[in-house]
Amino acid sequence: MEEKVTVAAPGAKAADSAIFACLGLGIEFDTPNGPHRVLDAVDLSVAPGEFVSIVGQSGTGKSTLLRILGGLERPAAGSSVRHRGQEVTEPPEGVLMVFQDYRGSLLPWRTVEKNVMLGIEKSTSGAERKERCQEALELVGLADRANDHPWRLSGGMQQRVQIARSLAMRPEVLLMDEPFGALDAMTKEQLQDELLSVHAATGATIVFVTHDIEEAIYLSDRVLVLAGAPARVTEELTIELPRPRDQMRTKELPDYLRLRQTAYTALRGSGAGGH
Amino acid sequence: MATEAVPQPRPARRSRHVRVPLNVSGILFLLGLAAVWQLAMSTGLLTSSFLPEPWEIGKSIGDLTGSGELTSNLWHTVYVTLVGWALAGLIGVAFGLAIGLYSKVWRYSMASTEFLRALPGIAFVPVAVLLYGFSVKMELIVVTYVSIWPVLVNTVHGVRQVTVLHDDVARMLRMSRLERIRRFTIPTTAPYVAVGLQVSLSLSLALALVAEMVGNPTGVGQALIVAQNTFHPEEMFAYVIVIGFVGVLLNWAFVKMIERGFPGTLSLDGEQR
Amino acid sequence: MSVTPQDTASGPLPLRVKRFRRPRRNLAIPPLRGLLPLIIGLVLWQVLSHGQSAYYPRPSLWWEGIEHEWQSGALKPAIEATLKSFLLALVISTVLGTLLGILIGRARRVDRALGPFLEFCRFLPAAAVVPIAVLAAGYTEKMKIFVVVFAGIWPILLQVRSSVRSQSPLLLDVARSLHLSRERTLRQVMLPSLVPSIMLGLRVAAPIILVVVLLVEIVTQVQGIGSLISTAQKTFDAATAYGLLAIVGVIGIAVNALLAALEGWLLRYRPDGS
Repeated sequence: MEEKVTVAAPGAKAADSAIFACLGLGIEFDTPNGPHRVLDAVDLSVAPGEFVSIVGQSGTGKSTLLRILGGLERPAAGSSVRHRGQEVTEPPEGVLMVFQDYRGSLLPWRTVEKNVMLGIEKSTSGAERKERCQEALELVGLADRANDHPWRLSGGMQQRVQIARSLAMRPEVLLMDEPFGALDAMTKEQLQDELLSVHAATGATIVFVTHDIEEAIYLSDRVLVLAGAPARVTEELTIELPRPRDQMRTKELPDYLRLRQTAYTALRGSGAGGH
Repeated sequence: MATEAVPQPRPARRSRHVRVPLNVSGILFLLGLAAVWQLAMSTGLLTSSFLPEPWEIGKSIGDLTGSGELTSNLWHTVYVTLVGWALAGLIGVAFGLAIGLYSKVWRYSMASTEFLRALPGIAFVPVAVLLYGFSVKMELIVVTYVSIWPVLVNTVHGVRQVTVLHDDVARMLRMSRLERIRRFTIPTTAPYVAVGLQVSLSLSLALALVAEMVGNPTGVGQALIVAQNTFHPEEMFAYVIVIGFVGVLLNWAFVKMIERGFPGTLSLDGEQR
Repeated sequence: MSVTPQDTASGPLPLRVKRFRRPRRNLAIPPLRGLLPLIIGLVLWQVLSHGQSAYYPRPSLWWEGIEHEWQSGALKPAIEATLKSFLLALVISTVLGTLLGILIGRARRVDRALGPFLEFCRFLPAAAVVPIAVLAAGYTEKMKIFVVVFAGIWPILLQVRSSVRSQSPLLLDVARSLHLSRERTLRQVMLPSLVPSIMLGLRVAAPIILVVVLLVEIVTQVQGIGSLISTAQKTFDAATAYGLLAIVGVIGIAVNALLAALEGWLLRYRPDGS
């Protein structure tokens, strides 16, 4: 069993201990046809160390919700988005985002190692930087590719570099926006398992957005179903499947199948697709 | 005057772009600039030995047009520009097609073409004056020679974009050579030729001016030098502004013309693709 | 291009394979044998030119003319002046063009307001700017640089502006998400991502800058190769004029080649060279 890399601040007050607490969250965008309300009356909370997935059909606004949590979008007036009790107005400390477009989020002119270092360059010294880099790369299994440029790596590897970059910063929270969506099935499964081991090793809180229900159930402690137009949380499933999870065995458990069915019904039942 | 393409509205973060056919803020900026300039000089805030007041420039334009001087000079320069450009276009496309279509020809001539193209055409102006004296003929030769190259090179490049795949498809469909040229070569090549022609149009105007400044006592180029030497800055600025507008107008007219046949080919902004 | 028998391990191939054509490729550098027409042309000129043709002297006479210029001490400073102006203008155009391109590209409203003004300046032939510059700054190096930069800044400015406008917001999101400061975002994320378009603009601008440097020299006679050519024209010294043209040609080629090499080196992290 690997040594736990401590990340979360221990002993926070009960009221402020939720990593995220959203109340009445809504957001609208300007379009030529007038304002378009994408999210409305979204209530959710995330506890420290949890793995929470948000599922929904394409276009419901899952990514937007994640971006709000990550401080990259401002919600509409009347919404409350709190991180550890503080209103989120800009990217909060300790919260990092992993984007779906891995190729576009890596800097092509930097090597893998320097890419991973991007976030920690200002706050750490040379020796510590290298150490953290090494640690992060080992966590994702790319320690031997440190000096390559991103174009030499496969899609799955590039995505791992992006994850490593976040890990090097020892985040409290990882917000992942369909990170495995652009990968083939086998690489996807591999990365899912790696993510689970990273979660176990670091104890970080993970909010994971995906349209793949099976992926959501397989990975998480809780699954939130986002649906409707404007979208809101229509269903919340607690996943009490044993950890560590296994691609073959977990997916054969009757509980897994039951959860899957519930989720699919919830997704299909709540309106003909959220556009 | 920049008829900028309106970005597609998307459910995005920024406020929406209002579709204005006229660039109001652009025009306001120009007017504002002229107003500030005029005010600064009228109140004595800005004095200069060479900068005239805007109203002086305006008056000068009026005077020159009235006396017919502006019109005749302008006409000469534009005439040489367009004739030279058209000639250059014909020659450039003809040779460009020959070099581009036949690989043997390409192999045995492209390097020379690249060399000659890299040679700054401006250096030919004194040589042309030496050879042909102060004349319209000299001007035309200079303009045509320099303007050939963008058209030629772009045509070659365009023809060579007709890929092996097109060749295979054409052969499989048993197209005659003529059909193949009509259906594949021309549509693929045309945008490149258009870009080459657009570039060489600006070049033609520029070279006509230089030729006039160096060796031909007519036209706007010559008028500019005279105005400079006789110390009439308001006349000079008058000509500069007029020729500037002509430059923009020529480009705009050309792009509009091409848009009718091949929409989306050219960009008014001059962005390289 | 037929396949020769040596190409296969087992003897000559059947006839139909022999007619295989190598597919047409867009070679980056055209084959050197393409210089043949030029070389043949020069050789013919040399051989066929008779006597003392005033207008079309033999290439060998060009060399003599150049040598004479060199001996008289006029050529070297002229070449130096031209190259110095070229480099200076290149650097200023790149820096200014990039800065302005970023500023204008980021601010939509400024972009629209400046639009017509920029269009006008961009299409204004450099030659038309010369008399104004001369009145303002006299026959000086400063005047030359001003005119050249005025003409050469546009390809870079426009390319950078276009690139900034169409920049995917992803990299900026990444920078914000990683809590990079504004200065770091600009320096470590934005500027390096602009390098390909700066290079593209630079490759277009460099020949223009060279041309306008010569233009100013020819029209105003300030020191440089252009002014030497102008003098040769006035003294009806065609041989020297042609020789100087050849020198200018070599400089032009060298500039293009160096820039291509620079681009290759700067963008070596890109396998497709895009």
